[in-house]
Amino acid sequence: MGMRFTVPLAAAVAVAMSLSAAAQAQFDPRDLSGIWTIRGHRSISATPPPMTPEGEARLNANKPTRGRFLGEPLNGDHPGFVRAVPVASMGNDPAHKCNPNGFPRLLLDPEPVEFIQLPGRLLQLFQWEHTLRELWMDGRAVPSGENLDNLGPAWYGHTAGGWEGNTLVMNTVGVDDRAWIDIFGFPKSTEARFEERYTRTGPDTIELRLTMTDPKYYKGPWVSDVKRFTRVKKEDTTFYGWYGLFSGLTEGTCAPMNEVEGYNDTFRDPTSKGVVK
Amino acid sequence: MMKLRICFVLLVAFAVAAPVFAHHGRGRAYDMKSPVTLKGTVSLVKWQNPHVLIYMDVKDASGKLVTWGFENSNVHTLATQGYNRNTLKLGQEITAIVNPAVNGEPLGIIVKVILADGKEIMSRERGNPLD
Repeated sequence: MGMRFTVPLAAAVAVAMSLSAAAQAQFDPRDLSGIWTIRGHRSISATPPPMTPEGEARLNANKPTRGRFLGEPLNGDHPGFVRAVPVASMGNDPAHKCNPNGFPRLLLDPEPVEFIQLPGRLLQLFQWEHTLRELWMDGRAVPSGENLDNLGPAWYGHTAGGWEGNTLVMNTVGVDDRAWIDIFGFPKSTEARFEERYTRTGPDTIELRLTMTDPKYYKGPWVSDVKRFTRVKKEDTTFYGWYGLFSGLTEGTCAPMNEVEGYNDTFRDPTSKGVVK
Repeated sequence: MMKLRICFVLLVAFAVAAPVFAHHGRGRAYDMKSPVTLKGTVSLVKWQNPHVLIYMDVKDASGKLVTWGFENSNVHTLATQGYNRNTLKLGQEITAIVNPAVNGEPLGIIVKVILADGKEIMSRERGNPLD
């Protein structure tokens, strides 16, 4: 009985697949939903703008374990990418103790992120940290003045924006200055403002341009390279029959029980004895 | 107690130059040029982020049991290669090649694990980048 249906079924599948391929070539430029992974420099770009003395002081106080990528321009004598400490325990990366990566550091991380588009807002759900970012597009403006001051800084700031043509433009203010911009330890002040511009360029690609303006620490805007989000294939996020952003993980959550007691105290700290039972 | 037909073999196998500080920073310094070969039984598998930790009981040259621990990749990277929390079982005899901690503690970072049937798994040279 199964045999009788083999040929028509195969033909139907072939037709369906070609229809699906045709449908995929078309895409709604205002639909950003899906699971994506970012590609691009791990900072805003390889060439940060000159910094203010206050910014330089903050930069030098941050001790990352990641340094300049070889072969990239040094931006003159800028020290930012060439000062990583050799072992993590000599650094002071807040993320090593499960403090939030904050914005934009988490967005720049290549681990998958799911964009969920709802009426009036876009949600970004990050695998790393198991964290949600709300990007409002319900007509509101980002908070300012006394409201912003009363809200106070937040690890991921306050984000609002909307469509300009087929580019989604989002502004972020009120970021917490204790989180670094990137894995390299570049600082940001609570006065920093960010603009993200998302453009869907294909069925499986979104381009992002990110600009930071932070006159307290930087003498000019920091404009990003072109970041490219590519769609994560379903099979690449399906493990042991379970599909989803958090498949294949104990969880994306940074749990101090694992990260601090379970790793820092046993392995990362070079004076540790290693063994836990 | 399980059978402890274990020996401890110190072997300078091959020189490996690989980045140690990747995803969000390894902590200690490892001797990346002189891996050691450990033969023993699995005593604990901590299947967790940021890095999976595997412990094994190994008899040293004097016959004393020493528990070695070595760190692996993260859970997601290992899952992508088809490994899971049950890949290594308690009491299983394995041979592990690791880069040891430079300060002499019985700790290391994985090069690869060789199972009793000779199959190599979690090999850093074959698809197990230490992210």
